[in-house]
Amino acid sequence: MAQITLKNLGKMFPPDVVAVADVNLTIGDGEFFVLLGPSGCGKSTTLRMIAGLEEATSGDILVDGRRVNDDDPADRDLAIVFQNYALYPHMTVAENLAFGLKLRKVAPTEITSRTAATSRMLGIEPLLKRKPRELSGGQQQRVALGRALVRQPKAFLFDEPLSNLDAKLRATMRTELIKLHQSLGATIVHVTHDQVEAMTMGQRICIMKDGHVVQVGPPMEVYRNPADTFVAGFLASPPMNLLDARVVDHAGGLAVALGEARLAVPGAFNGAYGAWRDRDVVFGIRPEDMHDGAGPGGRTPLDVRVVAVEALGPEVVLVAALADGREIHARLGPGFVAPIGSQQRLHLDLGAMHLFDRETRKAIAQRGTG
Amino acid sequence: MAAGALARRDQRFGLLLTAPGLAALLLVVLFPLGFAVFTSLFDYTLVHPNHDTFVGFDKYVEAWNADYLPDALWTTVKFVVASVVIEFVIGFSVALALNRVTRFKNVYYIILLAPLLMNPVVVAQLWRMILHSELGIMNYVLGMIGIGKINFLGDPVAAFWTVVLVDIWHQVSFMAILLLAGLAALPREPYEAARMDGASAVQTFVHITLPLMRPVIAVALLLRLIFAIKTFDIVFIMTKGGPGTATDLISYFIYRSAFFGLDVGRASAMSVALLLIVLALTIYLYRYMKSLA
Amino acid sequence: MKRLLIGVLALVAMMGVARAETLRILMETVPDTEQVKSLLSEFKAATGYDVEIEAISYIDMHTKLVPQLIAPTGAYDIIIVDFYWVAEFTKAGWLLPLDEFAQRDGVDLGRYVPKVMATTGQVDGVTYMLPFYNYVMGLVYRKDLLEDPAEQAAFKEKYGIELGVPKTWDEFKKQMEFFTRDTDGDGQNDFFGTVTQAQRGDCIMMQSSNFLYGNGGRYYDENWNPLLNTPEAVQGLADFADATLKYSAPGSEGFCFDEATAVMTQGKAYSIITFNNLYATINNPETSAAGGKVGITGVPGGGLMGSWGWGIPKSSPNKDGAWAFINWVESFDIAKRRAIMGNAMTQTALFTDVDVVAARPEAPSLEPLVAEANAFPVFTYTVEFVEAVGREFNLAASGQKDPKEAAEAAQEAFADLLRKDGLIE
Repeated sequence: MAQITLKNLGKMFPPDVVAVADVNLTIGDGEFFVLLGPSGCGKSTTLRMIAGLEEATSGDILVDGRRVNDDDPADRDLAIVFQNYALYPHMTVAENLAFGLKLRKVAPTEITSRTAATSRMLGIEPLLKRKPRELSGGQQQRVALGRALVRQPKAFLFDEPLSNLDAKLRATMRTELIKLHQSLGATIVHVTHDQVEAMTMGQRICIMKDGHVVQVGPPMEVYRNPADTFVAGFLASPPMNLLDARVVDHAGGLAVALGEARLAVPGAFNGAYGAWRDRDVVFGIRPEDMHDGAGPGGRTPLDVRVVAVEALGPEVVLVAALADGREIHARLGPGFVAPIGSQQRLHLDLGAMHLFDRETRKAIAQRGTG
Repeated sequence: MAAGALARRDQRFGLLLTAPGLAALLLVVLFPLGFAVFTSLFDYTLVHPNHDTFVGFDKYVEAWNADYLPDALWTTVKFVVASVVIEFVIGFSVALALNRVTRFKNVYYIILLAPLLMNPVVVAQLWRMILHSELGIMNYVLGMIGIGKINFLGDPVAAFWTVVLVDIWHQVSFMAILLLAGLAALPREPYEAARMDGASAVQTFVHITLPLMRPVIAVALLLRLIFAIKTFDIVFIMTKGGPGTATDLISYFIYRSAFFGLDVGRASAMSVALLLIVLALTIYLYRYMKSLA
Repeated sequence: MKRLLIGVLALVAMMGVARAETLRILMETVPDTEQVKSLLSEFKAATGYDVEIEAISYIDMHTKLVPQLIAPTGAYDIIIVDFYWVAEFTKAGWLLPLDEFAQRDGVDLGRYVPKVMATTGQVDGVTYMLPFYNYVMGLVYRKDLLEDPAEQAAFKEKYGIELGVPKTWDEFKKQMEFFTRDTDGDGQNDFFGTVTQAQRGDCIMMQSSNFLYGNGGRYYDENWNPLLNTPEAVQGLADFADATLKYSAPGSEGFCFDEATAVMTQGKAYSIITFNNLYATINNPETSAAGGKVGITGVPGGGLMGSWGWGIPKSSPNKDGAWAFINWVESFDIAKRRAIMGNAMTQTALFTDVDVVAARPEAPSLEPLVAEANAFPVFTYTVEFVEAVGREFNLAASGQKDPKEAAEAAQEAFADLLRKDGLIE
């Protein structure tokens, strides 16, 4: 298994489209690393540069400390699973699995045993004699995975491999991939635009936007401390509520002015937020940090008007409007009911609040010097 | 039951929609074909253009015994194999090269298409001038680079290959463009997978491109094969089948039977026989290709 | 409804009339056609008819004509008939007899050179065509070389006879050999004693006929017995093969008129046996390196008779108009003006007409060519005859078959066709 390091990696498509800019990452040996971002953010291009299918226009790619920029894809000893599986349509499943090994001049007996082991592991033994067009999407997915596994590469590169599956199958495959990673202990770089996949599978996730890395870290770390409004708004569904606001003096401390409402900032943050007094900020709060009851105390009330109530079963998502009409989402307990248009009081847990610089969109530190 | 009625109604409506097309096909394909088959059973000549004298299969026997028919058949076989095989090799090479090209693609397309757009009569006349053994530009150029003059249309062997090469010049772009369309439509992913699997350019071609292209190749070969068997204009203009019988193709042979020999019955018999041969060949090749795929 | 129908019918009738005012002719793309075209406005002024000439190349004519001739009403009011379609067209009954018209309008059929009239005029005493132009083959030779004292001396030394315009076939053969030479010393001949055109079909048949006649051979006797395997005929074919393989430009095995004439106009050959109406082209200094240096004479033994005639197909939509045109275009005045423009004349009086001779000094020398020409076999299957015999001759001329063997095969093919036509048993 291997460690993959990217140094100042960049990709420019002629004439002047910057697809990836200045990416610095180190993916640890045996790590399940997720590249997350919306389409066009450069995550696939980054993966393809690691694979060798695209040439980097600047920077270095190192596998186990060795620079591989100029190596052929085959010589990098990495395996990729494509979004569309890219099976060889004219070969049977067995031939698909064996093709790479044959080209690498692996002994026939070894090919047979490896193919058998891999197909057993993935449960595709009954399919070995079939052609790809006779397989379902999920089966093709497994074969594509098998083709990567059978090679026993230094690392696996997954290019949105689950995006063509239906929701149920996707959930199953997610779990299987996690198990697979655990049993193999392999280095995996997984590209996806699905934040659920990223959150559930990755040991660390890297969020990209417009070719740049925005934030890297363990999923919950990134979730709790988004580096900017983009990350805050990208993770989870519904995502963090982001509302333009101002920091004002209030009752001897600070408050967030949200229209007419004043939300008192917890004293612990006063030091750090003090410098932002009378300045424009973006106020952020996750839907789950708003409640329909006052609770044990310390929560801040906010009056809203009910716009919609979406009962999802285990929870209810309340879509509500502030006095000035701006909408927010709150995740409430399954028992919540309220008539549309009625006034409701929400209780905010401001210990979980975030402030972002309105101009740079970057998070404002909650503690320390500020 | 209701679904059955619906299906029947759909079927009837479908038939109604296709009826004009089918009728047109019947008129322009089946009627002439039927007429040819019918005529081949009569002593129908241009001097006596009528179906008065029924002769059964006499015209087929007569056609089979026609002087120089074996020469024409053999020449046609050689011509078809030579031109189709060479066109395939050149056409595939050109298609592979062009498939990689991104700049000036349209320019290449136009250059490729130019011969194809030319009337075969014009093509043949043009080459006849270029290949004039004494005054043509080709021998002039060959002379300049120290190769002796070639008697392109006078020497039997040279004349055969000249006709083959002119046909290739004229038709190769058909092959190239058909194959290029096939190549352009191939999925990109298997190629990337092959690169990851460590396939070299040659291995990729053999293990990925060729198998994926098989249906297109089959169609291209089949179409060119049928066209090649029907080749007429080039021979008609350039050699009249000569020198001797070196370039006497079957379609020109049949043409002469009808318009020189005035014997439409015999020409029809030959045409029908040729049609059956081509049909059998087509079915056989089609099956063979399908079994490979 | 009824009124509408009548209206439509009237309209159709009017269109019919309007259409009848235009006469359509299928012709070949040759100078003689252009000459006719240049005079059409006068015909329109005289008769009111518009004439539309569709000129196409020779190889397409027969194929294009036959369907129009079979049809009850064809596309052409007038056609021009090559001599070797004559038997086919008349036997099939496609041509309208013209005697009634000629008598009515007092046309003197005796004004034509008899051999031309016999070729593209009358069949079995019935007039189907009026001769349009002749294309008797003559021997075009390089006058300048014949008059060169050095050449004369060298020739005399080699053969013991004077160098001059050839009077006998043997003399011509010696000249073909004599003038074939390698002028730049590269081991390949680059100047040729003659140019042959041995492509299968018309090209070889037209020219090789002269070699047959030159040796005293004939295609058939008075009872249509084929004579292609006689010693004279075999010798004629052998001479033609020799000329093609030894004394003519390489590639002659595939030449037709264009390629062969080109060798001559490039100044690369001493002689060519070709249509007399090509003489003007070869002798034109503007287009020919041999321009002003050539003369024309009859082929020793008589050249091949060839001619075209004006005919009216039975399928002609407007037969009266068609005759009016033919009568006009063949009237002495118009024929004379065409002759001055270069038409290969068919009327005897024109060859010695003062104005014609003034414009074309060679005119008088062309009359014997026509008068002494020999006929090509014209019967129902002439086209197939040309094909079958042409193939055998071409095999001999390209060295693929012994002339004797080829002559035998040709004889057999000829006999088959004559039997098929009922001319022999």
